[in-house]
Amino acid sequence: MARADLTTKKLAQRIDLEYFKRPHPFRRLRFILSVSAPLAALLWLGWYALLRDNHVYSGGRVSTAHAVLSTQCDACHVKQAGQFSAKATDQGCESCHDGPIHHANQAFTPNCSSCHQEHQGRLRLAATRDVSCIQCHAHLHTTGGSTRFSERITSFDRDHPEFAAVRSPNSDPSTIKFNHAVHLKHNLRGPNGLVELDCQDCHRPAAANTKWKYGSGTADDPRSGDSLVSPPRVEFEKSLPPSTDYKRAYMSPIAYDKHCVACHTLQFDPRFQESAPHDTPEIVHAYLAKKFQDYIPSHTSELRIPAPVPERDLPQKPLPAAFVLLTQQQWVARRVAESEELLWRKTCAQCHALRFAQNSQLPIVAPTGITPRWFKHAEFNHDSHKLLTCTECHTRAKTSQETSDVLLPGIHNCQKCHRGGPTSAESRCFECHNYHDWEKAEKVKGSFTLSRLGRGD
Amino acid sequence: MIFWVTLLTLRVHLRIDGTHRKWLVASLIILGVSTIIYVIYAASSPGGPSGGSATGLAFGVVGSAFMIFAGLLAGRKKVAVWRLGRAQTWMRGHLWLGTLSLPIIVFHAGFHLGGTLTAVLMILLIIVVASGIFGAALQHYMPSMMTVQIPMETVFEQIDHVRAQLVGEADAIVEKACGPLALENAALANVAGASNTPAALIPLRDFYAQQMRPFLLHKHLRDKPLGTREKALGIFERLRTLLPDTAHEPTRSLEAICEEERQLRRQTLMHHFLHGWLMLHVPLSLALLLLACIHAFMALRY
Repeated sequence: MARADLTTKKLAQRIDLEYFKRPHPFRRLRFILSVSAPLAALLWLGWYALLRDNHVYSGGRVSTAHAVLSTQCDACHVKQAGQFSAKATDQGCESCHDGPIHHANQAFTPNCSSCHQEHQGRLRLAATRDVSCIQCHAHLHTTGGSTRFSERITSFDRDHPEFAAVRSPNSDPSTIKFNHAVHLKHNLRGPNGLVELDCQDCHRPAAANTKWKYGSGTADDPRSGDSLVSPPRVEFEKSLPPSTDYKRAYMSPIAYDKHCVACHTLQFDPRFQESAPHDTPEIVHAYLAKKFQDYIPSHTSELRIPAPVPERDLPQKPLPAAFVLLTQQQWVARRVAESEELLWRKTCAQCHALRFAQNSQLPIVAPTGITPRWFKHAEFNHDSHKLLTCTECHTRAKTSQETSDVLLPGIHNCQKCHRGGPTSAESRCFECHNYHDWEKAEKVKGSFTLSRLGRGD
Repeated sequence: MIFWVTLLTLRVHLRIDGTHRKWLVASLIILGVSTIIYVIYAASSPGGPSGGSATGLAFGVVGSAFMIFAGLLAGRKKVAVWRLGRAQTWMRGHLWLGTLSLPIIVFHAGFHLGGTLTAVLMILLIIVVASGIFGAALQHYMPSMMTVQIPMETVFEQIDHVRAQLVGEADAIVEKACGPLALENAALANVAGASNTPAALIPLRDFYAQQMRPFLLHKHLRDKPLGTREKALGIFERLRTLLPDTAHEPTRSLEAICEEERQLRRQTLMHHFLHGWLMLHVPLSLALLLLACIHAFMALRY
């Protein structure tokens, strides 16, 4: 719809030739915004600077363990005089943590931050990536030359070797004679009738606080115990990794007074209801002697015992009854000898390996040799696996007849669940292994104060 | 993935011509190489990918260089007469390297947002790149659309000036046909005999004073019947039936002025679309570059 009166000349005359000298509001607005946006950014950072809050520059949220240091950048980023950089160094970590080395003959020691990557969110710093371990264990070299460990491990579900404990020809080194199959039979004779034992009647974590069904104690704690079972308990305690709640993670070691006493009483003489102490032969001997010494003064009639019948080759006229009158010491010695014969040859020997030295009346009890912790280089948490039945993993428990049977499950059993992937359980190295050898850990003297952490009043 | 889809979209919809091909190939090679390096680095890095590692820093430096180059386009425009390479090359570099800076910076960040400042930087970068791609698409489509839809297009900054002239031209056409309008007193103008308007032309004068002139004067009155071409056609057809033949020519001129007014309004609207994204793109780009410099300084220190 062109207008007849609108010529090109008229169109040209419409243009204001000075228009570029006056900025259009559109351009002016863009200029204002272009100045305002960087200015707002500067004001934003300036506000934090005024508040002396540097966490705006943080590379990300710090881990849960370091959350209290979120606004205390200089706690880790220590500024060295005269240096521009204030990067977090191993010294910064070691001011609070001791990080003992992995192995004395390790060929490479990574920096703390190369494995424990901070500022990645509220994660567990110990939950390191497999690459941290694989960088050495994929082609293991040590300063000492050869190694007894597998030289190539890249993942748990691919090429991790079978657990050392279940590798043939390993066997349980314990000297205690124990038959799992017998103990798991139906209709066992229990203290109050027939019973059927369950795994958890004997194997329970230390944190279990219910009464032992067939024992005398209540809550079990490996830190307490009688003298005979102390060594395994001490061994057990020593073997526990410090980073886990051992009372829930690990099964308490079997102890006679907790697990066996109800059925396996140590009766030594029908005159007494009580059992002999479950202790060293010397203590048992002293106990028996004292019991009989205390008994005989009030039962002197028992000093008169039938005389031994002489041996005769031909039947004759019956001899008249003859009696011998013993002294109290003689009587006690006879009773103690009889009781010890019962104990050493039957009752104790049923479970313990006893050995008699040439010039000694008392036996030597072999150390029980119970393995307190099977995985020497790894951790296991029974509590995390409590959804499973015991025999789902310890499949041979119901049929094992020999103490030497190692009833630990093999790696394939673990790999059924721990095999990586979104629908499987964690299978990274840290799940079972500790890099740091915490037995070599040294005490760290803390240097922070609450006010330095910004937590003071 | 998003990047590849974007590239494919650009390739299909923007009809990337031969001048873009070299940039496209170079960008794909850079992206491919960067991706391979990142995958290897992320898989082999014990602590996971991090902007502070050597590889992460390298990604950061390259990504920042791309961003800075893209940002220099504004400076290049300010000194258009300097011999600093062809403007087209600068624009191609701005488009391709600016887009490429996003995946490179994502590699630098290891696909993490990080802390407050880095999260802000990443969000700004995403907005800047996204608005840039949106703007590039608009710049590609809209000019040809405007050529078709707005044959009366004028310089954007001149639109208000031209619109004022349209009012003057329309006033002159009506006064020439109907006599003085006495617009300073609209009430009087509506009273018969208050002007020298012949009785046959009173409908024209009334239409102009009551409908068309307010439409021309008030650009924000979009719901007026004259704002729609189809409705305006009907209005003018009806008006012509009320007028003698001698008044048909000025009526057609007024109709043409209305059409031009509508086109100028549409041009304004399209111009706001065509350049409005710059209100976001440019200020945020500047803020991004400033904050990126501060981030680099602080990151190198800590």
